[in-house]
Amino acid sequence: MSKLIVDELITQTANRLFSEICSHEAIQNAETVGEAPEIWAAYTETGFPWISIDENLGGSGGTLLDALEVLRLVGYYAVPVPAAETGILGGWLLSEAGFQVPEGIVTVLPDQGPDLAIKVDGSQVSITGSAIRVPWARSAEIIAILFHDNGNNYVASVQASDCAITPMTNMAGEPRDTVRFDGVVCSYAEVSKAIDSQSFRFRGALSRVALMAGAIEKMSQMTVSYTNDRVQFGRPVARFQAVQQHLVWAAQDAALSRMAAESAAIEATRGNGAFEIASAKLIANQAASRATKACHQAHGAMGMTQEYPLHHYSRRLWSWRKEYGGDAEWSQWIGQLAVAQGADGLYPLITGGSRVL
Amino acid sequence: MTKAALNEESIRKALSEFLEVRTPETRLTTMGAGSDDLEGGKSYLQSTAKHGWHVPSWPTQFGGRDADNRENALIGRVLKEFIVPDLYPFAIGLGMVGPTLLTHGTVDQKSNWLQPIATGQDVWCQMFSEPDAGSDLANVAMGATQDGDEWLLTGQKTWTSRAMWANWGICLARTDPSKPKHKGLTMFAIPMDATGVDVRPLTQMNKDAHFSEVFIDEARVSDALRIGDVGEGWRVAMTVLSHERAGGGSRGGGEGTTRGAFVPNWISDLETFGVLQVPVARQRLMEIHCHDLASKFTSQRASDEARSSGVPGPAGSGAKLRTVRSYKERAYGSNRLAGASAMLTDGHGYIETMTAPSMSIRGGTDEIQRNILGERVLGLPGEPRLDKTASWSESRKGLL
Ligand SMILES: Cc1cc2nc3c(=O)[nH]c(=O)nc-3n(C[C@H](O)[C@H](O)[C@H](O)COP(=O)(O)OP(=O)(O)OC[C@H]3O[C@@H](n4cnc5c(N)ncnc54)[C@H](O)[C@@H]3O)c2cc1C
Repeated sequence: MSKLIVDELITQTANRLFSEICSHEAIQNAETVGEAPEIWAAYTETGFPWISIDENLGGSGGTLLDALEVLRLVGYYAVPVPAAETGILGGWLLSEAGFQVPEGIVTVLPDQGPDLAIKVDGSQVSITGSAIRVPWARSAEIIAILFHDNGNNYVASVQASDCAITPMTNMAGEPRDTVRFDGVVCSYAEVSKAIDSQSFRFRGALSRVALMAGAIEKMSQMTVSYTNDRVQFGRPVARFQAVQQHLVWAAQDAALSRMAAESAAIEATRGNGAFEIASAKLIANQAASRATKACHQAHGAMGMTQEYPLHHYSRRLWSWRKEYGGDAEWSQWIGQLAVAQGADGLYPLITGGSRVL
Repeated sequence: MTKAALNEESIRKALSEFLEVRTPETRLTTMGAGSDDLEGGKSYLQSTAKHGWHVPSWPTQFGGRDADNRENALIGRVLKEFIVPDLYPFAIGLGMVGPTLLTHGTVDQKSNWLQPIATGQDVWCQMFSEPDAGSDLANVAMGATQDGDEWLLTGQKTWTSRAMWANWGICLARTDPSKPKHKGLTMFAIPMDATGVDVRPLTQMNKDAHFSEVFIDEARVSDALRIGDVGEGWRVAMTVLSHERAGGGSRGGGEGTTRGAFVPNWISDLETFGVLQVPVARQRLMEIHCHDLASKFTSQRASDEARSSGVPGPAGSGAKLRTVRSYKERAYGSNRLAGASAMLTDGHGYIETMTAPSMSIRGGTDEIQRNILGERVLGLPGEPRLDKTASWSESRKGLL
């Protein structure tokens, strides 16, 4: 079993690197241009994108927990790169199928269009139809697609250059492209039965939870520091109790989502964190809604400008809370699970989580 | 048409001669979010000004029709059946400066400025906020010194919405720094093309560039452009703000309605996302809808009150809190219920979600509105403050 403590060196290195390369201007510029090759280059030099992927397949080794710590900091600094897609989502799918991970960007399909059809034809598959809201497809080398055929699960490794890509963006200006496959032919390989569309959805949610926890924490800290500097009526506005309430909401939400993200990360690294991940995504979604409100309100007009960086975080949170399951989806999942435990099973579920399932 | 003949039917008939009826498909922007269109509003105002349909309570000679509250409300209600474009660019003039001039303006100011506001010929902006004067508006530092028949204005305004469209600004300035902060202020109208006025637009997070920094360096303003007495600027500012909060300027824009239909469009638009059948969603939507209705009545009452008394009242603060909450809940609720596709910049409720946080900030924050209600309606003690009596030159240092 993997160790369940984050390697401190990772936190240190990521903090140092991201605070150097992710200035407000750099993030803004990535949004305008639609990608950030320099930031991506600096990021890949550390080997961060491939943490938790087998070294024999081109990965950097390390645990899922380590990879999620990097993602948390990617969220904290609003690093404009497809970190989750290349690593614990796309990189994971490829390596589980025995593919070498490429040097470039990998992405995945969080949502398939209704018309996506994948036809197995000997050693190759042929793909037609479309996929929507594909993160950074325009910059990707490989699109890793998980599919189900005849009782088995497979991963197809598609060259992004074979697809027709229409640039689209989420609220934060991150690429969420529409991808059209016109009979694209590519190789594929089988993955274990455990890697199905449901476990992929959980893993996607886990990645977003880490990013969101980082972003909420950063927003909360920015707000404390802004309201201590901003003087009105002869005193820092943080001295008004009405403002302090906003600060407390944001700080609570930061602590709550980080705690949820960490326990989800630990259980997922241990093997099965379904209950923790579902709970954490719901918690992070709700925390994001409250904390963005509180932080914007405490900032006044300053927070509404493009010049001030609060929006890098609030807009990301508004988008991420919709990705890999909104409130309704995860509430329903948890509700069904809880009801299925029966009255006597509820308390053990709350205290023991996935381990009692 | 004689005044006595005015009833719903006759108003409808008169309006239908030049306005198109709203249909369930009508979609217009609200508060200018995501739009830079001035032409729609201008031609609408040109066509309504002749009979005073848009500002019925104004005197007839200034572009209104001397309507009383009942008639004004009736016209407002019938107008909602027609396509009234988003009048955001014109809202300061129509909803705030106009009513303020009716209370505080000289005869000349009324005859020079009201008509061009009513016809959409003039766009006004509100130059109140400064870098150090947001919630603490009485802290404005923009200086005005008298020079014969003129005043010389120097300083910086910020968050000035519409400044880049405006030909007039209503500008709060300090004429006597030795007086306590609320006492040494005076209100002016500034021609935005005056020498020394420099407008620099700022981009908002919703990508609009609707507010600006305005740098003013020794701009000359004739004394005839002073609104209210010297030293009475705070009182005039409060009149402007009470009209803003009561929502006087916000007629027009928004979604379609069909006479006799009960489900508002923002709800029926969610049909395509398959959520209207979901009990949790229905409950949430109905909560918002009920709040909306209460909010509309509250605003109507506050704006009638502000208009008929001409003096600022705290009712506007209550109305603003409700209106803002309605906007925000509709925006967040719609965006949330529309699911994953609404994460995109062309998704459902995008522009509203990105604009929503500003609603509880502009026009005085929610916290400030609650302070006003606490102090003025409930008579609760305010925060201890020493800056009300000390001279502004002392209190601005922030050590009191
Ligand atoms: C989109 C937009 C358009 C605008 N357009 C205009 C315009 O056209 N003209 C114009 O003059 N201004 C305009 N404004 C400025 C607006 O009036 C100010 O933003 C507002 O008054 C708040 O000031 P501030 O932003 O400096 O916030 P601050 O005053 O710095 O407030 C920061 C936080 O502290 C809280 N706070 C401050 N004082 C207290 C207190 N005493 N008690 C409790 N809480 C307190 C606030 O509620 C807020 O949460 C606009 C603002 C926005 C966002």
